[in-house]
Amino acid sequence: MVTHEEILKIAKLAKLSVSADELVQLTKDMSEIIGFADTINAVSPENSDFDNINHLSNVFRDDVVAPSFDSGEILKNAPEQEDGYFLVKKRA
Amino acid sequence: MKEYGKIKKLSGLLSSRQMSCEELTRMYLDAMESENETLNAYVSYTADLALETARRVDAKAAKGEALLPLEGIPMTLKDNISTKGMETTCCSKILKGYVPIYDATVWQILQKQNAVLLGKTNMDEFAMGSSSETSCFGGALNPHDISRVAGGSSGGVASAVGGNLAVYGLGSDTGGSIRQPASFCGLVGLKPTYGAVSRYGLIAYASSFDQIGPIASSVEDAALVYDAISVYDEKDSTSRGKTEPASAALQNDIRGMKIGVAKEYFEGIRGDVNDALQQVIRVYESLGAEIVRFGMPSLKYSLPVYYILACAEASSNLGRYDGIRYGFQAEHYSDPNDMVCRTRSEGFGDEVKRRILLGTYVLSAGYYDAYYKKAQNLRGEIVNAFQGAFEQCDVMLAPTVPMTAFPRNFTAKDPVETYQTDICTVPVNIAGLPAVSVPCGFDEAGLPIGMQLIGARFCEAKILNAAYQYEAATRETTFRAAETGVRL
Repeated sequence: MVTHEEILKIAKLAKLSVSADELVQLTKDMSEIIGFADTINAVSPENSDFDNINHLSNVFRDDVVAPSFDSGEILKNAPEQEDGYFLVKKRA
Repeated sequence: MKEYGKIKKLSGLLSSRQMSCEELTRMYLDAMESENETLNAYVSYTADLALETARRVDAKAAKGEALLPLEGIPMTLKDNISTKGMETTCCSKILKGYVPIYDATVWQILQKQNAVLLGKTNMDEFAMGSSSETSCFGGALNPHDISRVAGGSSGGVASAVGGNLAVYGLGSDTGGSIRQPASFCGLVGLKPTYGAVSRYGLIAYASSFDQIGPIASSVEDAALVYDAISVYDEKDSTSRGKTEPASAALQNDIRGMKIGVAKEYFEGIRGDVNDALQQVIRVYESLGAEIVRFGMPSLKYSLPVYYILACAEASSNLGRYDGIRYGFQAEHYSDPNDMVCRTRSEGFGDEVKRRILLGTYVLSAGYYDAYYKKAQNLRGEIVNAFQGAFEQCDVMLAPTVPMTAFPRNFTAKDPVETYQTDICTVPVNIAGLPAVSVPCGFDEAGLPIGMQLIGARFCEAKILNAAYQYEAATRETTFRAAETGVRL
């Protein structure tokens, strides 16, 4: 079982705000989902260490200077910007 | 052998100038104008770009220059594939208005071929879902029956291609999101080997599972698109590219090919889907293939393993949506932290929030070993089980989905019931393998049934060869074009 408190703690970690209305349904849904995830606890896996699918490690390329993105272009997507910086107001 | 591919046929018409690319493109744009309102396949149109590209192709054909394989062919991209200067939303409120400043590698490749992009297509929000109904634009509908969904998460691509509003499209497959909608809409959908196609510019859901691939109306078309896009890319550190082209292998004789059937894939699937698959087995036997039967007990952990690991990765990947750098920002807030929380809570839909919460839960202190670490271990076991399977056979055969297309607004008892429908598709994503969904019949309501052929890593040529031979033997009874869009 997952409690309301646990959901609120996890939501805080994930930077999601959960209203009192949403909390009841969300706790119910999460209990189902975590109960489902718990089915893997019935097995004790052999030690099959999994690293990554393609067995790749430390993929390097030459450190060559190349043109990057224009900061003005990047800032065009920002909700607010000022003097070439992203802008976050103290409050709105 | 009868040809079912549209791409080569259209390419022939364009290069011999029996039809101009502009004329072809306008046919599709007109069809979109009249039919998309019903199907809801496209979420944005790129008509100007399409016509501009078409004129370039026509100029090339007029000079007698040879056309590249995909040149001038009208197509679409799922709306999680970045297109420079064109809105890319993942069908989420949080990315509405976001215009990428760079192209995904697959789109760069296709632009070099003068592919005619008609528009971007609908999907479940951030590719999280099986019906496309978690899209902030509403769901994409099934061209075979508009009371049914097109599937998901690449439902818009399947709806567009199945509804003849595009010749082919690129989707992405994290747990079945190319194969399931292809199956629901009676199409061919290929999920390539992890690393075969660059993920650069694909907006991430679960990075160790995500893979871009084609949805088309024939095996030949899917193979042509796969061959074009499976190129090594230094911008994706997990990229490998293909090992051999698939198109050249389609005609190979499959006599003596060993087709593996694992009984776990057939447990709990609907009776008519099982009957269709048994018929597929008989077709392969008649083509001279050998059926090899075995068990893969570890497959039963696939679903929880997939959901634990994919959601863990999603919770990390979706941490970037903070309302500061791009997309939606909450209007009212008390301080910057509150701004981020409100932006995310108002910007993400319910399914995305559930998956972020599950991912955060399984990665949090006290639960990491019990869930994430254990699931990673089981992932290793499933990888090994497939390795063992491919020591006994060349390709594996399984249903794509345990059922056919769901009715619209189908409400499951709880989210887990919906997750269960992914049971046949998630194992290959866990193991990073290639798999192709191919139409293999219809249910009583006339809805398409799909089968999938699964290969060992980088064996796309082999599964597409087996798929092509099956298609050649059965196309008349397993494929039906929807009565919408451009009928060529």
